Amino acid sequence: MAAPAVGFFLPATQAIMNASTLDKDVNSAMPPGDFAIWIFIYAELLAFGIFFLAYAFTRAHNVELFNASQLSLNRESGAINTLVLITSSYFVVRALAAIKRGRQVFCVRWLAAAIAMGGLFVAIKLAEFHAKFSAGISLHTNTFYMFYLSLTIFHFMHVLLGMLILGFVLFKAHRGHYSAEQHAGVETGASYWHMVDLVWIILFPLVYVIR
Amino acid sequence: MQYKSQAVAKPYFIAAIGLFTGQILFGLIMGLQYVVGDFLFPEIPFNVARMVHTNLLIVWLLFGFMGSAYYLVPEESETELFSPKLAQVLFWIFLLAGAATVLGYLLVPYATLARMTGNNILATMGREFLEQPLPTKVGIVIVALAFLFNITMTVLKGRKTSITLVLLIGLWGLAVFFLFSFYNPSNLVLDKYFWWWVVHLWVEGVWELILGALLAFVLIKVTGVDREVIEKWLYVIIAMSLITGLIGTGHHYYWIGTPESWLWFGSVFSALEPIPFFMMTVFAFNMVNRRRREHPNKAATLWALGTGVMSFLGAGVWGFLHTLAPVNYYTHGTQITAAHGHMAFYGAYVMVVITMISYAMPVLRGRAANSERAQVLEMWSFWIMTVSIVFITLFLTAAGILQVWLQRISATPMGFMATQDQISLFYWLREISGVFFLVGLVLYIASFFIKGGKTVSA
Amino acid sequence: MIKRHNPIRPCTGVWLLLVLLTLVTYGIGEAGLGGIEVVFLLLAMVLIKGQMVADFFMGLRRVRLRWRILLTIYLLLVVSGIALAYLMGIK
Repeated sequence: MAAPAVGFFLPATQAIMNASTLDKDVNSAMPPGDFAIWIFIYAELLAFGIFFLAYAFTRAHNVELFNASQLSLNRESGAINTLVLITSSYFVVRALAAIKRGRQVFCVRWLAAAIAMGGLFVAIKLAEFHAKFSAGISLHTNTFYMFYLSLTIFHFMHVLLGMLILGFVLFKAHRGHYSAEQHAGVETGASYWHMVDLVWIILFPLVYVIR
Repeated sequence: MQYKSQAVAKPYFIAAIGLFTGQILFGLIMGLQYVVGDFLFPEIPFNVARMVHTNLLIVWLLFGFMGSAYYLVPEESETELFSPKLAQVLFWIFLLAGAATVLGYLLVPYATLARMTGNNILATMGREFLEQPLPTKVGIVIVALAFLFNITMTVLKGRKTSITLVLLIGLWGLAVFFLFSFYNPSNLVLDKYFWWWVVHLWVEGVWELILGALLAFVLIKVTGVDREVIEKWLYVIIAMSLITGLIGTGHHYYWIGTPESWLWFGSVFSALEPIPFFMMTVFAFNMVNRRRREHPNKAATLWALGTGVMSFLGAGVWGFLHTLAPVNYYTHGTQITAAHGHMAFYGAYVMVVITMISYAMPVLRGRAANSERAQVLEMWSFWIMTVSIVFITLFLTAAGILQVWLQRISATPMGFMATQDQISLFYWLREISGVFFLVGLVLYIASFFIKGGKTVSA
Repeated sequence: MIKRHNPIRPCTGVWLLLVLLTLVTYGIGEAGLGGIEVVFLLLAMVLIKGQMVADFFMGLRRVRLRWRILLTIYLLLVVSGIALAYLMGIK
């Protein structure tokens, strides 16, 4: 999936350059970055949204099972991961702010920090999965675990993709492809990452806390 | 045409339309057999007619894809085809193999055909759409690989565009997934699990890439809209196709003995499968609205727009109607399925191939577009065929709803055959619609024989 | 250069708020609390956090209203769906 991402960022950035010299800070028409990413963002949100509702309504028919199985979840790693992603998103905002002022080096550093936080999320999540799988829990154990595992694994894959995208943006920033005047690529990658954060913001309370 | 070797596409297109006609004739035979059970029995029993109908569909669409690729790739790559000779040889091999296979279905009892063609060496026969004897299947693989070699070498030596890239991924995917037709496990669950790796991953997977690429190509040509805009749309559309369609395979795994989690994954992801088709419709209309030129081939433009709409309706909407597990529990394997199948195949793949043929054939014959008379006739054929399919679908949907009610939901369910009696009226109506469809097809063919047309260079 | 809207300080404030709300959520989880009022509180926090991310992190506050509203509607739909399901589960 990185290939199409590469394939449209380059011409897309060119298109944005050609299309507008709008000051994006002053109530511009379009959301930040390449509009194509926003189509994905809304589609992803739709998919996750449906999944969340499926979880919630299934829980309504299996309240005791869900309450009981939920107790086995590691709430600490869930909470820490929420903080990690929120912070990582914050770092991305800082990176964008930096490039908007032409501070390329700072942009690179903030992006690196954001990706590092993403790596931390991945590590914590892997440990959490490992613990569950070692305890013999799988997709077939019961309906709660089926949802818990598929939701968090599905989200996990999006974290990985997001990190890849940020990595690509970092690479380009490092090479000096962005400036105060044109940094649509940074906005594009940032928007996707914020979506990944947003999804987890809903997921954590829903799966780990609500009972 | 811009490159001489594009001419190899012509025989492929002609064969495609010829086999399409054969497909429709056998469809009409079956439609009548639904209500007059022993029509043409025992010469052409229903199951034989069905094999011929479905296999012809697939083969003519493959001819269409290959012809489209031979036309499109040299132009996109800005270089002559790697080996026009190879393309011509493969045409005859594929045509003769296809003809032999169909004759085999018609002239020889299936079990005998199996024995004659070495099904005991590797049993690949006996499954829906994959009824071909082993030698035919092997032949298809060889023809496909040689075709891919030809096309890929052409792209490699020329300009690489998003359209050729997407088309190649789609076509290579088509070949790779066809290999699963050789895998026929004795465990029934696995058998069905992997059967869909050919069928679903074709029509709700890699074929959508082919569809997108062909549609994008025609739209660039007839609208003159900036290539970058069209290419970006193409990437987003195929990404959505893959994202929804791959795990969406799960909507075939509800009832065959696979784990219960498929009810969830299949429902959620396949429910999103209409999205790329919706985008294709918006894409097509948007590009035509933003066009920078008035291309003389109005018919091709009409087919392109129609492809968007009908594929969205047939594949997207009708697919959605029965994709969720709780609904599919009742509608599985009924006339609802047939309704969806017909409109989806017509709207997506039949129409995109005809779009390509409509665009390319005039050029291959030395003109930018056909004469006004020919185009008008062609547009009539568009409307007649499309409206006929809509009626076929509506009647089968009605039949299906009644079937589900009588046979599965009612407090006193009826048996299969008793139910079929009750819905026979819809079968008659469907058959009449089918005759109109044939009329439309005949008009389409007739439009090729009307002389004249703008000889302005394309 | 024109003095632009400074994107940094508000965002740090937003970050702190998000962290705080997360800790509250975690605390509720630790206390094992349940019931309608608690769940509504949790969902309200989800709404606020989500909207903050949309407005300040994604920057939708500064673009045409429709893009922002779209996300708000999304959050409302999901959150109210969850609330509805929760209520169904109580009966």
